[in-house]
Amino acid sequence: MIYGAAGFFGALLSRRARADVAPPKAKAMILLWMNGGPSHLETWDPKPGHLNGGPTKAIRTALPGLSISEHMPHVAQIANKLAVVRAMSSKEGNHQRAQYLMHTGYAPTPTVVHPSLGGWVSKKLGAPHNGLPAFVSLGGPSFGAGFLGVGNGPFVVQRAGAQPDNVSPATGTDRFARRQELLAQAEQRFARESGSPMVDDRRAVFARAVSLMGSRDLGAFDVSQEPESVKKDYGDTDFGRGCIVARRLVSAGVRFVEVVQDGWDTHQNNFDRTKKQLDIVDPATAALIKDLDQRGLLASTLVVWLGDFGRTPRINGNDGRDHYPQAWSCAMAGGGIKPGLVGATDAGGEKIVGQTYGVPDLLATCATLLGLDPHEEAMSQVGRPIAVTDGGQPITAVL
Amino acid sequence: MTRFSAILAATLVTAAAVGCTHDAAPVRTAANDAARAKPNAPRDFSSADVDVLLKKAWAEKGVSPSAPVDDATFLRRAWVDIVGTIPPADDVTKFLADASPNKRAQLVDALLASPAYAEHWADYWEDELMGQARQGDIDRLALRLWLRDQFAKSVAWDKIVYALVTASGQNSVGGERAKSMGEAERAIAKSDTPINGAVNYVLKYRDTPQDWAGSASKTFLGVQIQCAQCHDHKTEKWKKDDFQKFAASFMRAQTLPLDGPMMKGIKRALVRDIDRPLPRFMRDMDLQAIGRATPTALDGTPMTGNVRDAVGQWMTASPLFARAAVNRMWGHFLGRGFVDPFDDLRPSNPAEAPELEDALSKDFASHHYDLKRLIKTIALSQAYGLSTGAGTPVLWSKFRASPLGPNELLDAVIDATGVDDALRRLGRFNVEEITEKLRTLYGFVFDVDEEFDRPTFEGTITQALIQLNGRLVAGGSAALPGSAVANAARADLTDAQRVEALYLRTLSRRPAKDELDSWTKYLAHPPPIADPIAKAPRAKNDPLARVAEKIPETRDPKVAALEDLMWTLLNSSEFVLNH
Repeated sequence: MIYGAAGFFGALLSRRARADVAPPKAKAMILLWMNGGPSHLETWDPKPGHLNGGPTKAIRTALPGLSISEHMPHVAQIANKLAVVRAMSSKEGNHQRAQYLMHTGYAPTPTVVHPSLGGWVSKKLGAPHNGLPAFVSLGGPSFGAGFLGVGNGPFVVQRAGAQPDNVSPATGTDRFARRQELLAQAEQRFARESGSPMVDDRRAVFARAVSLMGSRDLGAFDVSQEPESVKKDYGDTDFGRGCIVARRLVSAGVRFVEVVQDGWDTHQNNFDRTKKQLDIVDPATAALIKDLDQRGLLASTLVVWLGDFGRTPRINGNDGRDHYPQAWSCAMAGGGIKPGLVGATDAGGEKIVGQTYGVPDLLATCATLLGLDPHEEAMSQVGRPIAVTDGGQPITAVL
Repeated sequence: MTRFSAILAATLVTAAAVGCTHDAAPVRTAANDAARAKPNAPRDFSSADVDVLLKKAWAEKGVSPSAPVDDATFLRRAWVDIVGTIPPADDVTKFLADASPNKRAQLVDALLASPAYAEHWADYWEDELMGQARQGDIDRLALRLWLRDQFAKSVAWDKIVYALVTASGQNSVGGERAKSMGEAERAIAKSDTPINGAVNYVLKYRDTPQDWAGSASKTFLGVQIQCAQCHDHKTEKWKKDDFQKFAASFMRAQTLPLDGPMMKGIKRALVRDIDRPLPRFMRDMDLQAIGRATPTALDGTPMTGNVRDAVGQWMTASPLFARAAVNRMWGHFLGRGFVDPFDDLRPSNPAEAPELEDALSKDFASHHYDLKRLIKTIALSQAYGLSTGAGTPVLWSKFRASPLGPNELLDAVIDATGVDDALRRLGRFNVEEITEKLRTLYGFVFDVDEEFDRPTFEGTITQALIQLNGRLVAGGSAALPGSAVANAARADLTDAQRVEALYLRTLSRRPAKDELDSWTKYLAHPPPIADPIAKAPRAKNDPLARVAEKIPETRDPKVAALEDLMWTLLNSSEFVLNH
């Protein structure tokens, strides 16, 4: 069956028509999380002709019509694979609230803990059968799955590149196996005596942990086997190694990997500091996308580059920029996106010109590409149904 | 009645018992205070009274309670719930041997009088109030010390909350972050400037007064008004306007930084009230509307003068204050509040056993919000002494098992294994510092949400890995000199005595015959020692990483078998759950 472009995506969004629609392109997502709020004027939306632009120059990229910061030369070379959205806007200017919003698509409220997108993906797409978790976070705690249960939350590895903590037993394998047996006996007895269903639930979690310990793909967390040239391309940094691990994990069936780079909160000395950040993030981002492409994984892996918010276009007294949720940029690659430049800000980078997109729209786009219904609801703990996105509409220009 | 007091009255009416003459939403006045102190005030509500009301409720629902638990189970439950850790082996044997008919009451009294009570509830409230907040000017140890002081002195709950909500002054001595409670305590004692640890609670919300109002209402009144922050509440009658008027009282606490930008350490700050909303809030588009609203309590009472003081007084005199505390405590001990979640009191979320909830709330309020009294009443009720069992516990007719919270789990492992004594013996380790680091790690990894009734166990893989392979359990299971395992390995004990010693230390009971049989058999014919293994790579965040190197693997098969026993006990559900 052949669908016109609008018809195809319209059908994708309609629950009733799901059975007739082609399967989703993206099987996994990698979130490159820029913690602290990266300045859009120093990354995806430079303004070299304007006072607001400061010293940041722009360079042309492989995507006609797109110029980005001069400090992103590697990304510029593969920009023909990117969808860059310059018309993002939100209302949260506080770090904790903004980070929550970006990860869950909702503003925080104390009543309900909304599941992060990673949590939804874990719940809906499920963990691979090799014992690896569905959702991994590298370099930061990410956000949990809220009322979808901690089983759908992230498996956190603080410093990527080596085996996660505590996956090797403190004793030899024989002794560990023996202890497992002794524990199983004790658990059976207590389950009988107490009648509490918690015992079996707990044993199931322990079984998953043991599965991970024995997974034939546990090495996915470890970069030591990678050739030196690869490690050099990604960069000898935690973020660089995190990106290598993300590619390895996705190859091994993990569904959602978050790689965190902190240090973007440049209230002071913005220009030097963002350059230092980009020295780390630019080569790693480009290497990841190229690597996924070369391995035939890019079409099925959605990569999203995102942070708390943008930064004030008017430079402050400390040569810095402050928080600016009103206008910012994000970028996407792979997973079936259509490369291109979407939306624009005005000459000074302060206001969006034309169509504005919000965080729910971004998450609806990701959900759609991953085959999740953005409006599907699940019942929260307080009896309130919560949907994957807060009324978000997928950004059709990107689909 | 104004709309506000109508909402409040509706909330109260759901709790009103038959024959209740309590008026809706009384405003605190001298007359009310005097009425409370009168000699013919409502008579004391005791555990026996709790039992009567619950028996009635059970009869009405056609449910029967499960069997009562034995002394060992009760002892462990009471220790975990009142002082946050498990009883030492000696306390277990003494309690089991004690023949006095009121030994459980004596136990509860002793626990409430112990320093561990204050430590536990300081930990509990520090976590509850602060969550994971650890930004530059927050001194959590100072807050914890302040809380410990309040609980140690049995300060009334209304006074504690009032002091938190209205806290002002300096938050910390500043400088490098203290690595242990002891260090923090010494620094505060030496300080020339008085330090008010409670200020750190206020600092959590220095930039988000709307979150402060929402969380204060939820935590202390059980009213989740923060939904109305952005839009009129979807199911309740709260309007955005009500929220803004309530939040307006939280807009005037000014934070004056005393230190410039710092890379590490705690920034000192001074909190004080000004007579209008903070100018920087008024420049924020979302907070302006709150700043322009007239400070008003949830029942319509205008907040005048120092509005933070006024709202602190109003909150701690509101009938919801007592109800929220009672629900929280009942939920803590019995696994489910009268209302579930226990901090969500509203007409559309009616209480179970409303007569009992109301009686306990009134008793709490009329006895100066005495937490120890409330805890004792709950702990000596029949319901608290029931066994767990299969099936859904209707109206607390069965006990609900629940996982130990992070602090309780950590303390239980340390106390069961004696690993802190063992580390002290090794020398060169600051045990207090290591414990504090472990507390942060466990607090993050083993975080639980207590306010919901959670019938299933929700564990993460990371938690399981820490328990199975982590250094604390590994170190605690090892026969280090001074540890429980080393003591059990002493030559002068029989195998049966060894097994019993470890059961008493970890599960707080004696082993049953079948357990004794299989473990003594295991000890009598222990598996041979395998060749030494390569040490696993150091876990980067593990506070015990350095310690791990000092733990030699034993060459004695019998000692290894004892270590296996300890490891099994520490990983068992019976250890990790409060049941």
